[in-house]
Amino acid sequence: MSAERHRRHDRNEPGHDREFPQILGAHEDEEERFLRPYAVDAGVAGPDAAGPRGRRGAEQLEMLSLVVAARTPGRHEWLRPERETILMHAQRARTVVELAAEVRLPLGQVRAIAGEMLADGSLQHCGPTRPLGHSDILHAVLVGLRSL
Amino acid sequence: MASADSDTQPTEAIPHAVKIIVAGGFGAGKTTLVSSVSEIAPLSTEELMTEASYGVDDLGGIEDKTTTTVALDFGRITISDDIVLYLFGTPGQDRFWFMWEELAEGALGSVILADTRRLDTCFHAVDFFERRNLPFVVAVNRFEGATAYSEEEVREALDVSASVPVVMADARERMSSKEVLVELVSHVLRSRQAALSG
Ligand SMILES: Nc1nc2c(ncn2[C@@H]2O[C@H](COP(=O)(O)OP(=O)(O)OP(=O)(O)O)[C@@H](O)[C@H]2O)c(=O)[nH]1
Ligand SMILES: [Mg+2]
Repeated sequence: MSAERHRRHDRNEPGHDREFPQILGAHEDEEERFLRPYAVDAGVAGPDAAGPRGRRGAEQLEMLSLVVAARTPGRHEWLRPERETILMHAQRARTVVELAAEVRLPLGQVRAIAGEMLADGSLQHCGPTRPLGHSDILHAVLVGLRSL
Repeated sequence: MASADSDTQPTEAIPHAVKIIVAGGFGAGKTTLVSSVSEIAPLSTEELMTEASYGVDDLGGIEDKTTTTVALDFGRITISDDIVLYLFGTPGQDRFWFMWEELAEGALGSVILADTRRLDTCFHAVDFFERRNLPFVVAVNRFEGATAYSEEEVREALDVSASVPVVMADARERMSSKEVLVELVSHVLRSRQAALSG
């Protein structure tokens, strides 16, 4: 085993870390290279993405934020198929990331649209039915995994 | 918003959504591990990114953008009516570090898959989770033809704290992947107990 990890902490070592400098804290350069369109433009990535609708009031959703449809798809959606699809898939509470996978749209786009839909009342945030502390969750996850 | 016909639907409990990250170098078996324990075929979504090229400062900003997509695979394990566990593999390409930040946010912990044919490819994952104080276990994924290293040898090369579990695994085997996850959550609980009593 030739490689040893502590060498990676020597930032002056020639050629080291070429692939992953940002993990070691050099974030600034990388931020110039890669911009997340939805984060940068507050939900608008371009003409074929969410579009300039309802930017204000759109909130940034976490991947695991839970949302549920507050109404069934209606005539509002006839020119907005992606909203209709989201409403149909969110009839039961869904995480944003699952919603994105189900409706086959990029995560950032679903985040942006869902944010607008929360703002206009089409979607609602939902919290877990039963409050559980972090410890309770960990213990339950351990039991659940053991019984797989 | 409740209407007469919506009352006919049974009210389902809304679960807590929690996650575990499966990290490691390129081709270390992340997607394989997620698939082997997930109750569903892994789901996939993608994140779009605008990639701005370097050397355009004179032009007063970002002039040259291309859009890149990062695939994000994840699996799901229903723990109970109240808890759903998601397993997220980190994107294969290292340069998509920003996804790591978000994936790690609020995660219970992380599995770092170590591929002994190229152990150095998981160094950055170890650094990343150490820096964020996110508990992790190292799972040594044994590929055919790879030299068999002992747990101690791997531990030494990775230079991880003695409390970090290093376990042998085969990501293709559901039971092996399950054991890795059990090891991780046990470790998270031990770390919490140590932190609370210390
Ligand atoms: N022998 C052996 N092969 C494995 C094991 N785990 C994964 N593989 C194989 O290794 C290859 C890569 O596995 P993936 O799960 O795609 O790896 P990954 O980490 O998701 O790869 P990227 O996302 O591209 O970084 C596949 O052909 C797997 O079948 C293992 O435990 N043992
Ligand atoms: Mg993969």
